[in-house]
Amino acid sequence: MTPLKRKQLSRAMVFTGFTLPALVAILISVEIPFLMSVFSSFTKWNGLDRAQTFIGLENYKELILDDLDMWKAFGFTLRLTLGSVIVTNITALLLAVLLDSDLKAKNTLRAAYYVPNIISLIIIGYIWRFIFSAGFESFYQITGLEFFMFSWLGDVKLVYFSVLMVSVWHSLGFYLVVYIAGLQTVPRDLIEAAMIDGASAVGRFFRVTLPLIMPSITVSVFHSLSNGLKAFDVIFSLTNGGPGNSTTTIALDIYRTAFVINRFGYGTAKSVILFLIILILSLFQVRMFKQREVEV
Amino acid sequence: MKKRRSLASSLTTVVLSIIALGYLYPLFLVLINSFKTFSEITSNVLALPTRLVFENFTNAFRIMNYPQYFINTLIATVVGVCGVVLVSSLAGYRLSRTKTRYSFIIFMILIAPMMIPFHSFMISLVKVAKELHLIGSPLGLGVLYWGLGASLALFMYHGAVKSVPQELDDCAMIDGASPLRAFFQIIFPLLQPVTVSVVVINTMWMWNDFLLPLLVLSGSKKSLTLQLAAYNFFGLYKVDWNYAMAGVLLTILPAIIFYLSLQRYIIKGMVAGAVKT
Repeated sequence: MTPLKRKQLSRAMVFTGFTLPALVAILISVEIPFLMSVFSSFTKWNGLDRAQTFIGLENYKELILDDLDMWKAFGFTLRLTLGSVIVTNITALLLAVLLDSDLKAKNTLRAAYYVPNIISLIIIGYIWRFIFSAGFESFYQITGLEFFMFSWLGDVKLVYFSVLMVSVWHSLGFYLVVYIAGLQTVPRDLIEAAMIDGASAVGRFFRVTLPLIMPSITVSVFHSLSNGLKAFDVIFSLTNGGPGNSTTTIALDIYRTAFVINRFGYGTAKSVILFLIILILSLFQVRMFKQREVEV
Repeated sequence: MKKRRSLASSLTTVVLSIIALGYLYPLFLVLINSFKTFSEITSNVLALPTRLVFENFTNAFRIMNYPQYFINTLIATVVGVCGVVLVSSLAGYRLSRTKTRYSFIIFMILIAPMMIPFHSFMISLVKVAKELHLIGSPLGLGVLYWGLGASLALFMYHGAVKSVPQELDDCAMIDGASPLRAFFQIIFPLLQPVTVSVVVINTMWMWNDFLLPLLVLSGSKKSLTLQLAAYNFFGLYKVDWNYAMAGVLLTILPAIIFYLSLQRYIIKGMVAGAVKT
């Protein structure tokens, strides 16, 4: 073997040695299961037998034409996502702007708002179940406000707002710190220049700050969008999809289809649809938002 | 002018502090009610406890089987985090240094999962995990996390390696160090900021994860994680709020302590992970 060949071979071996563990891990935990799911979505499979019967597009046909529950879950997921993207981002941005001024307590406050975000969503759901029932009862006794006696988790109309509020409460801190980080990249002299030119505080925010923090907005909207579309844990513990199935999300519907009623093949078809929805909406969103980003 | 500004800023501080207190009030309610008797809770949730009932905690601790599930969660998280750091730093480094088309294709294959939501392959993942005997133990759960966490971590390492000069690799090679040794002794320490972010992001996620443990562990009672134990416990005591709240508090306590002690790194790490994608 020539020295050059030997060197190439050892290089290839080093490359393989360094990258193979990650490749194997990712293939096992994500990519092989994903490809299997795509395959299973064309089969009838109860999860218990090894046998999967190929049935072509039957699952997709049933899903699109007959499955009202899935469409309902789809509608609820979209409404929840839209609500949380809007409410979370506006609230977080507003708080971030207020916190970004030279406050002494800035770091403490930022840390305080972040606290709910470190708690698991499953526990968040239980905490709010307690607040909505026992907590609100005490609030009613003290304030006498009818508001606290509403059935926040039992009424089909109200439960949307309860779930939305809890989701926002949990994740706000995360988006807040992303926006604070974004605001810190805005050059002070640009703001001061706008001030000298006589721009009002509101004008400065919309004309100078907002365009410059567009990258943070893109990132935050991207995360809140995909987290909304994937919502599972908080629903599982807060409402378990109820009342009726009014708060069932796509992810919860997939879980039930496969692991509760054992229609694994059909469940994988739904999961492929979820993948496509998230992919298309995220690409669309990132594209749209990226166009608005400006360079300093 | 300056005086007016400092007045405005202290006013903002006061307002934001009040909002923050209201924001955290639900957690305060959990705290005080976990120390009350059941009848005290039903009579008034908002009042402070008249005496501290520690039995809520000892009971919840015992019924939840807390120590065992704490250790299970710790095993899954430590195995998961260490594995993710190891496989992704190695691959991220080598892929960043190798500038061939082949290397780029591998890189793309490795980061593609960032676009694949967990729920779209979880059904088949359970099947794969079963075949590989990775279900029913916290260790197996930790191993499953490797591939789930590796893509983002690898992406972050890949970017950070670019700012580490290539000359350092060459020097180490001339000194006769093996590629692996050169990486661990020279390059890896320089990537510490990324490692901190990767550790933080993955620890928070794995410790709080619910769905994957539910899918792969719920069959074997002694292997549950804390989140699963809390789920079972809450199912039993959903009306006995005093026990339920003590259980909730015990479950979130490790994460709170972790957060309070490493707060700055955690916030920085989470932001870094979010912005990189």
